[in-house]
Amino acid sequence: MNLPLVRLLVDRLVGWLIVLCVMLAAIPVLVLLLFVVLKGLPGILTPGFFTEPPHPQGVPGGGVLNAIIGTVEIVGIASLLAVPIGALIGIFLSEYGRNQIGDTVRFISDVLTGLPSIAFGIFAYTVVVVTTHHFSALAASIALAVLMLPLILRATETALVLVPQSLREAGLAIGAPRWRVTLEIIVPAALGGIVTGALLAMARAAGETAPLLFTALGNDTVQTNPLQPMGALSLTVFRNALLPYQNVQDQAWAAALLLVIMVAATNILARIYVRRIQR
Amino acid sequence: MSRGTATERVVPTPLVATSRQRRLISGDRIFHAFAYAAAALIILIALVFVVAVVIPALPAITKFGLGFFISRTWDPVRSQFGALPAIYGTLVTSAIALVIAFPIGLGAALFLAEDARLRFLRGPLSFAIELLAGIPSVVIGLWAFFILTPLMRDNVDPFLQHTLGFLPIFHGTASGYGYLTAGLVLAIMVLPIMIALSRDVIRAVPRALREGSLALGATNAETIWSVILPYARVGITGAALLSLGRALGETIAVTMVIGNTMQISSSLFASGYTLPSVIANEFTEATGTIHLASLFYLGVVLVLITIAVNVVARLLVWRFAGSEPMVA
Amino acid sequence: MRGAPIVVVACGVLLLAACGGTPTGTNPSTGGAGAPPPPQASLTGAGATFPYPFYNAAFYAYNLKFSQVSVNYQSVGSGAGIQQLTKKTVDFGASDVPMNATELAAAGGSDTVVQIAGTLGTEGLAYNLDGVATGKLKLTPDTIAGIFLGTIKNWNDPALAADNSGLTLPNQAISVVHRSDGSGTTYIFTDYLSKVNATWNSTVGKGKSVSWKTGQGAKGNEAVATTIKQTPGAIGYVELAYIIQTNMTQASLKNHDGSFVTPSPEGATAAASNFPDVTPTQFSIVDAPGKTSSPITGYSWLMLYKDQADKTKGTALVDLFDWLVTEGQSYAVNVHYSKLPSNIVRQDIASLKTVTSGGATLLNVATPS
Repeated sequence: MNLPLVRLLVDRLVGWLIVLCVMLAAIPVLVLLLFVVLKGLPGILTPGFFTEPPHPQGVPGGGVLNAIIGTVEIVGIASLLAVPIGALIGIFLSEYGRNQIGDTVRFISDVLTGLPSIAFGIFAYTVVVVTTHHFSALAASIALAVLMLPLILRATETALVLVPQSLREAGLAIGAPRWRVTLEIIVPAALGGIVTGALLAMARAAGETAPLLFTALGNDTVQTNPLQPMGALSLTVFRNALLPYQNVQDQAWAAALLLVIMVAATNILARIYVRRIQR
Repeated sequence: MSRGTATERVVPTPLVATSRQRRLISGDRIFHAFAYAAAALIILIALVFVVAVVIPALPAITKFGLGFFISRTWDPVRSQFGALPAIYGTLVTSAIALVIAFPIGLGAALFLAEDARLRFLRGPLSFAIELLAGIPSVVIGLWAFFILTPLMRDNVDPFLQHTLGFLPIFHGTASGYGYLTAGLVLAIMVLPIMIALSRDVIRAVPRALREGSLALGATNAETIWSVILPYARVGITGAALLSLGRALGETIAVTMVIGNTMQISSSLFASGYTLPSVIANEFTEATGTIHLASLFYLGVVLVLITIAVNVVARLLVWRFAGSEPMVA
Repeated sequence: MRGAPIVVVACGVLLLAACGGTPTGTNPSTGGAGAPPPPQASLTGAGATFPYPFYNAAFYAYNLKFSQVSVNYQSVGSGAGIQQLTKKTVDFGASDVPMNATELAAAGGSDTVVQIAGTLGTEGLAYNLDGVATGKLKLTPDTIAGIFLGTIKNWNDPALAADNSGLTLPNQAISVVHRSDGSGTTYIFTDYLSKVNATWNSTVGKGKSVSWKTGQGAKGNEAVATTIKQTPGAIGYVELAYIIQTNMTQASLKNHDGSFVTPSPEGATAAASNFPDVTPTQFSIVDAPGKTSSPITGYSWLMLYKDQADKTKGTALVDLFDWLVTEGQSYAVNVHYSKLPSNIVRQDIASLKTVTSGGATLLNVATPS
């Protein structure tokens, strides 16, 4: 190409700048994961990490059993609340939602998605903790459920909208009532998107810390009663990081690694599921 | 068949409505009711949300009014509270985050949407960015607290002071905790959003425009600068605003490195506070009604700012990208 | 100590009421043979980070002994402990500073809350200076005040050099670390400074949260310790247990009598012995006279409601606290806290005996002599 030198150089320069940006964008995640794995692996491999609650200073050993149970239970209950309701709202939006109410719902959903996660903690504190006079896993689950709701609702609506209209028409044409068409034909067709949305929302919720600070409070003992304060992996990472004891800090890294593994596994699971459904 | 009146819908009725058909039709009504109930539920949740956050803030709102926004005092002992240091910290850290993440994010997005070379890298890069988007905030905070902060204190900050120390923003001693470190952490956290949204926006630029420009003899760089970016300007602004919205509300990672000091300082090395961090730190222990109400007031301020930024952003991004963005 | 006859008699009473139902007037378990165990309960407490290492160790041991009682103590700061107790979201609160009149009024009145001293601890000034070993740095009330007021900004300040003639202090900025949350540890520290330094008293004063003139904040004793460890040139006030358990270097402090002492549990006991009449309204024991007294010392308090709505929980709670102030104190030494003096133990048990549920006293033991 016959180009004046300046233009050629500028083009090359911009090209390299873009590559630089790419590298700068990729470096944080690599460095992050490197450190989390390097510093967390010893802790995870310690015997007792998965089977013991934390021990006080001076008593060797200990682990994060309380936190693992806590995260699973809190996210589990939150999902039981958010997934059915979110899916139903998503169905509403795609089937009945081309109106004012639908737009209001979408607007609210967008607003909720953008809120800082601590707002959900404040909400659940005022509505659940103060009224029940108890810090509890349930309060944390409610905070997380409200946080997950817009994500699931969006994913459901998108998935349903993608289902071809011809399927709906075919169902109605053979005489099935609308609710049967929706529940028995459309939703199963969109299940991939819905499940993916739910899994991603769960992964997001499992990593949240701020909403748990003044709802679940935290618990160093193993607790399964949802009406009691409960520990969680994210809380363990947050609190342990700030403790001055080396072994406790090591546990923070290990818990962080476990959290990252859980979140990554859920994401990968969601991806595999989508690919299988799309075949 | 009865005489159809104006209000009756005249539909071809079957000769006999069987009980099964009645059941099915009432099934429709039930389903309809459930769906609307679900919609009503989320509207109800939103209302309860507003009430739960605003009502407890009222004592502080009535006591301080709008002066809250410009007062620098945060004194629990004398029950005098002002939001200015926290607002300042929030704005400064978010600004730093954008200054860093905007160019890098845009560049990476251009690569993902545009670049003909090194195509094989697109997949891995996309994967890396999505991975970053999924890493919980507390893990990033942990890494920032133990790894980034000493790095800043021992290497980056002294370097900045050495070379650019004449600037007031680089004055003072660096402890590693402060606006700059927090801003950097936020930049890392909003990078995935910036990249994903910008990529969508850039992809939405019509091929014809791009190819036309190249056909006329423009280089890639010139096409980007003169054709793509101007066209996508509005959408990219929207992407930046959404990233800003995310940065404004980020709590945990920032709390771990901001230094937790209620002050306003022109130096980026100084420790400060952000709206969410104050709430996270002081909420469970707020002594007295006014203290707690002031924290709620901070929460109201935070929620209002993030809603405003998000609404403007989404309007811009929708208008440009054409459809609703899939944001994590 | 515990009268064995009383335990035997109580056993008899208990055996009658033991099957499944809530025992009335249960005796605490104090280790004696045949002592009745506490009822099953899950107790939640929140509050001070100052006594956390001790409470953590003690509650863990208690649970090993009585697996039916699990105690979840979250160290979220004294201020939070009081707030959450007031809101009744926790069963007991812990604070290094007893509730003041306003806080008591918010909780329902000064006669609705029982406050007992749970442990005795002391604070040290931990610092991060290369080559300056523990105890080598000498600080006086005025230099401490100067550092925390921001008037002494650098380690090589002449005021510091004056007290540390044998030491070369580096040309390094002082990074002050203080608490960002409402803290009893802060209260004890600022109480001390208010007493010994007039400038501090008039400009900052004392409180769980004060308007700091300099430095950065960290949440909880733990985070202050971590921050100091991570920041060269840093100094901050930290509870002794954290300093020792994490091998931090601390300064030797000039006490009321003029001697330079390194804070220690023995120093705390010496300081406390000067104040036999400590009550929740008269509780300050800082700047105590005595050659070996540690200057920044204080009790840490536990608070619970006098009228317990849930009888089982209330019983478990008073049993726990009775154990804590008697047998449990043996766990204090290992974690660098001081045992409660016997007059305080007496007072505590007398206070615990005023706790009722539905009118019935929950703790029936003889007050120790």
